Amino acid sequence: MKKVVVVLVLIMAAAMVIGGGQGETTAEGPVTITLWTKEGEADNALQWVYDLAEGFNQINSNQQVEVVKPGDVEALREDFQTASLAGTAPDLLWTVNDHAGPFTAADLIQPVDGLFDLSKYVDAALAAVKLDGRTWGVPINNGNHLMLLYNKDLVPQAPADTEEMFRVAQRLTTADRYGLVWNQTEPFWMVPWLGGFGGSVFASDGVTPTLNTKAMRDTLQFLYDMKYKYKIVPKESDYNGADSLFKEGKAAMIINGDWSLGAYKEIFGDKLGVARIPKVSSTGKWPAPYTSGVFFMVPKEVSGAKLDVVKAFVNFVTNEENQVQMVRSLNRLPALKVALDETIVKNDPFLKGSADQMVVGTPMPTVLEMRCNWDSMKPEMQAVLNDTKSPADAAAAMQRAAEACVKTLE
Amino acid sequence: MSGLTGKIIARSLGQVGSTLAFLILVIAVVEVLLYLILGKALKHRYTLPYMLIAPAAIGLALLVIYPIGYEIRLAFSNMSLRSFKNPEFGLDQAWRNFRMIFTQPVLKQAMFFPLFLRTILWTVIQVTSHVVFGMCLALLLHRPMKLRGVYQALIIVPWAIPQVIAVLTWRNEFHFEYGFINIMLTRIGLNAVSWKTNPFWNFAAVNLTNIWLGVPFMMVIILGGLQSISKSYYEAAEIDGASGWMRFHSVTLPLLQPVLTPAIILGTIWTFNLFNVPFLINQYELETSDILVTALFRAAFEYNRYGFAAAFALVIFVILFVFSVAYIKLTGGLKGVYER
Repeated sequence: MKKVVVVLVLIMAAAMVIGGGQGETTAEGPVTITLWTKEGEADNALQWVYDLAEGFNQINSNQQVEVVKPGDVEALREDFQTASLAGTAPDLLWTVNDHAGPFTAADLIQPVDGLFDLSKYVDAALAAVKLDGRTWGVPINNGNHLMLLYNKDLVPQAPADTEEMFRVAQRLTTADRYGLVWNQTEPFWMVPWLGGFGGSVFASDGVTPTLNTKAMRDTLQFLYDMKYKYKIVPKESDYNGADSLFKEGKAAMIINGDWSLGAYKEIFGDKLGVARIPKVSSTGKWPAPYTSGVFFMVPKEVSGAKLDVVKAFVNFVTNEENQVQMVRSLNRLPALKVALDETIVKNDPFLKGSADQMVVGTPMPTVLEMRCNWDSMKPEMQAVLNDTKSPADAAAAMQRAAEACVKTLE
Repeated sequence: MSGLTGKIIARSLGQVGSTLAFLILVIAVVEVLLYLILGKALKHRYTLPYMLIAPAAIGLALLVIYPIGYEIRLAFSNMSLRSFKNPEFGLDQAWRNFRMIFTQPVLKQAMFFPLFLRTILWTVIQVTSHVVFGMCLALLLHRPMKLRGVYQALIIVPWAIPQVIAVLTWRNEFHFEYGFINIMLTRIGLNAVSWKTNPFWNFAAVNLTNIWLGVPFMMVIILGGLQSISKSYYEAAEIDGASGWMRFHSVTLPLLQPVLTPAIILGTIWTFNLFNVPFLINQYELETSDILVTALFRAAFEYNRYGFAAAFALVIFVILFVFSVAYIKLTGGLKGVYER
């Protein structure tokens, strides 16, 4: 049995040797932070994030950034919450503004007011991450809003109002082409029209759902008519389906976000038109897409040397040079005030169209209750578009579901 | 592109190394303690067996018992996003969670009992289809024919493909514009079907996919059973003048029962708890296609009702536990194990 003890002692010694050295590198070597990003490969944005991290790592030998891509936007939110609970959260997030709602409710991120000079960023972008008087993110780009994009070969001039849009789209809809496509599965695409019909998803207090309204019923009826009366959209269309149809020239117009500009510009060049979503003829109002942007958010526990790396990297990404680079490669509106004055931003027809749409946009609510609204609107919008529910019933069901959901937040 | 550089590999190995070292250290300490206490101090006759079992027991405790314990604890809390870090624990919270499961929507609108009934319907459709189609295929293949091995291999393919990959491929095939199924339907003059947004067709799509996935497994099991039935029974039946149906009914079915019973009980539990297919095919989160386990996932990770979801998980556990115990009692499925 003595042999057994000797073997065990040897194993313990070996384990200590293998396990040793780990702590030393962190004490002596560079400080590395982990960044989780929501960006994807579709518009080369993920590549841009990798390039930025590599550029930063090259000029900062003692401060390093490691980029991790945890699936899609929703996966990032879920994984971050779970990782925070387990004490293995990343050191920096690169994500959308509406995550600020759940993350602040769960006390997972820290305000950035004292950490960065926020005066250099566009106010409209900062407004999208303000909650309880504090700012919860540093903007990387401004916008993230929907707009009308059209193929100039088919539609030389953007329709001014919905009547014209229906007329043009009906003329262009054939057996193998649609007049208009959009992601019919997400209420994010419905919300602009709700604004066009004079509605809003919250009462003036910003947290009470107001979904069973005349504006919502009119919006749902409008979407229903688009599909069943005017027959200008596909029977079923998700994001990828709509995107592919437009790219292949099988759709004359698409409602899509500023994130898609880069890819479309590459395919259509000058033949790509960018304009506001047409004015709602019956109300005379412009549809109001949600505007927000992409933000850095700093997890609650980050401090000390890691926080220094976070600060350095955030300032690096949002410096003028990199903001202009983002405009060039991704066609996104910059969040830095000085970058907005650059010639490239002012003279680019696509960005001009995008900025014009932003003027009539409305900041996307970040409160946690918005999640209830999204979750409640989604199935009901789909039910109307499937002709399985009337707009009136769907609006009433949305409201009930949203109210029940808000109760569960307590 | 920041690829897999040597530096990243070295760091990853370093992280794995430290975890491995920690595990070795813990196991070594436990082994030494067991040796000293059981072997030296108590002179226990089973010292060596205990020392051999210890690493596995520790692993099981960490990976199974601790999470279950944590889950039960969560069911007694009000943990949600607003109380993410400091949830309240107590009997009143558990009572509130369990009451909510049966009195309020589990998802946005779906209540518990309709979901439960749909889960039963889903399970019945699946297990019946798997057994019926699996039986038909097995009977067809259990006869002399040319290229039998090729047919068998082709039919087993769905089972051999990793499930998630197969399901995601099917999801694309259900696409309205670009999916293979709708293209075929329109080519033969039928209307394209809204597989992803229409509640009925979405549930049908989920079912079709899982039937495709599940039949090969059942076929393999039944074919194995068929091959083990001695030909002399059939010869005797033939001499007695039994028709084809009578041979199947009175010889094949009873002799297949020892194989079919465990396959059906396992198939039922797997299908009842199957997550991948209903979750992934239901891309647009239609509540009409959700079953209990997908609803549980949404409650926990999409709506962040952690305490509630933990209680919900316990309810599902109890349902399956009752089913399993009842089934084992009725069929005597574990009799052989106890009698050994």
